[in-house]
Amino acid sequence: MAKTSQRKDSADQIEHANITTINGKDLKKLFKASVSWLKCHQAVINSLNVFPVPDGDTGTNMVLTMQSAYQEIANSDEENIGKVIQQIAQGALMGARGNSGVILSQLIRGFSRILDDNQEMNASLLNQAFAESRNTAYKGVVKPVEGTILTVSKDIASASEELTENNDNLLDILEGIVAAAERSVKNTPNLLPILKQAGVVDSGGKGLLTILEGMYRCATDQSVDIGEVVPENTVISLDQISNNEMHDEIEPGQDFEVVVDFSPNNDFELKEFYDRLSDIGTSIQVGEGDDIYRMHIHVATEKKYEPIEMVGDFGIVKKVYIENLLEQMGQAEKDNDFSNEIEKDQIAVITISPGNGISKIFQSLGVAKVISGGQSMNPSTNDIYEAFKDLPTDKIIILPNNKNIIMASEAAKKLSKKNVAVIPSTSIPQGLVSCFRLDPNADFDDIVDEMKEALTEVETGEITTATRSIKINSVNVKKGEVISLLNGKLVHSSRSIYKSCSELLKIANTEEREHITIFYGKNVKSEMVDKFAQQIASEYPDHEIEIHSGGQPHYQFILSIE
Amino acid sequence: MVKKIIKHGNISISYRAIATIAYQSALASYGVVGLANENFTRGISRFFSKDQQSGVVINYENDVLVIDLYVIVEYGTRISSVAKSAANNIKFNVEKLISIPVSEVNVHVRGLRVSDTD
Repeated sequence: MAKTSQRKDSADQIEHANITTINGKDLKKLFKASVSWLKCHQAVINSLNVFPVPDGDTGTNMVLTMQSAYQEIANSDEENIGKVIQQIAQGALMGARGNSGVILSQLIRGFSRILDDNQEMNASLLNQAFAESRNTAYKGVVKPVEGTILTVSKDIASASEELTENNDNLLDILEGIVAAAERSVKNTPNLLPILKQAGVVDSGGKGLLTILEGMYRCATDQSVDIGEVVPENTVISLDQISNNEMHDEIEPGQDFEVVVDFSPNNDFELKEFYDRLSDIGTSIQVGEGDDIYRMHIHVATEKKYEPIEMVGDFGIVKKVYIENLLEQMGQAEKDNDFSNEIEKDQIAVITISPGNGISKIFQSLGVAKVISGGQSMNPSTNDIYEAFKDLPTDKIIILPNNKNIIMASEAAKKLSKKNVAVIPSTSIPQGLVSCFRLDPNADFDDIVDEMKEALTEVETGEITTATRSIKINSVNVKKGEVISLLNGKLVHSSRSIYKSCSELLKIANTEEREHITIFYGKNVKSEMVDKFAQQIASEYPDHEIEIHSGGQPHYQFILSIE
Repeated sequence: MVKKIIKHGNISISYRAIATIAYQSALASYGVVGLANENFTRGISRFFSKDQQSGVVINYENDVLVIDLYVIVEYGTRISSVAKSAANNIKFNVEKLISIPVSEVNVHVRGLRVSDTD
């Protein structure tokens, strides 16, 4: 088991170079390292969470807060340390999640206040910054609880005072700070009884220590990416095990969830039990209740009975639950409901969306119902009719968002006695732009006119892969090439998705526009999205660029150019 | 008054008592620096109130509690996260101490306290 104590073993032999000042670039490097070191220890920190609400997410919250903070400087070459830390503080504030995240953001905010506009930081500034950091954090609470991250920040500040007295080598100081933080974290159970009862140290404090450790490791050229450190084998209480929310994502080899209740033999050994389980599957948890143990594991399809047999070696099996996670995920996706409540006589918008991401955006714009469909999966007239026939209003607007669905929408209009208007939107960007004009309580005819008018405000770019070779509009397309369409018309074909996009934007006269929104498709990798967005940003540096997960099939990217 | 029926009689807990628990846990929540009276007309003098239950409104219906909280938050913290933690904290403490389920904690941010401007 990789534990953080490695630092100590090696630290004693490390010769410190004499570093008395650091600038913004150095800080960026240190900060980046601390984010990855924290990420490695996320699970360990999560497992410490007992107070005040046993939800076990401190590690995750701190990682998300730090990532949001780092995001602000990820692309910056700024050398002024004051400016860099201010950006970090801004990012931490915006991304602060949970109690620990908020406190962390306050700590950084205090720190940044001292560095102000300094080009570089030396020992004396560092000392002041730690003090201000502590002061700012303590101001955020009326009744500070000791034995938490606050206490650790306080101990760090006092340690820095001593350390900076006769030494201006930042590396020596940082080493001392980390050691002080470690002592402080170890002491938290003595200050906060609930930690002692649970036999853990404070999770937020541990998180702060981990961040500083990451910086020290980076400064002394030690690796900060050691993969995920798993918490020590622990037994948790039964009610904690049952309400796990691991269903968001399942990795390959985690197709089945198996839960076995058993009463262990007298010679039951937890360590061996864990080891055997980890050979079979992942997401292992063992819970203890009255005379009963519960084991939880995710395994591949072909191994779904193995855990049960294995548990038989360790005790008497009482009950077994097996669930097919893949099936459940499919179910969850189908159950996604993107509707909004519509009150009597309000205007209700029915829209058609090809992916969950896009549906979510429509939902946030206040549409009444989202029907899933689009290219090659057109909803029927009846699907559309059913969506609005029971709504408590007679004022219905349909946004088909695809030229092949306009007909079905018109037919649904004829089926109904309600006052139905079809806005002939032929793309997702048109549908969205049109929705911006929606005011459910305004006059129906006015809104219909406005929404129709809005359609012309946006250019739609679509990027997809050609399914056959063809020549249209004097563009030669070979099967498998990336083609780009502007407002439904084929404008370019190329082997590179980036080239295709660049040509599309040129033809769309993007220079004259201000805003580009990117909706990436279902199977597009995040690296590709990043690269794609960066390319657009470099070609159109003055444009505002927004990126959303659209979740649509077929089209790698849908672009809205306004 | 909230009543619980147990084997040998009843336990009744006053709203005031529950409000005090909520008040104390709110103040122990990071980022909440005070509670404000829910009724603005009572004036600024009571903006930061020392009364152990002001700023907390308790409703008990269908065997569950709904708690409304009127708070002052420290400027510079992420308000949504602070409000969320405060709500979690209060739900946890009230349920732990009186064993009556809390169905909702509504946090109303009535103001911000500015200690430092950056």
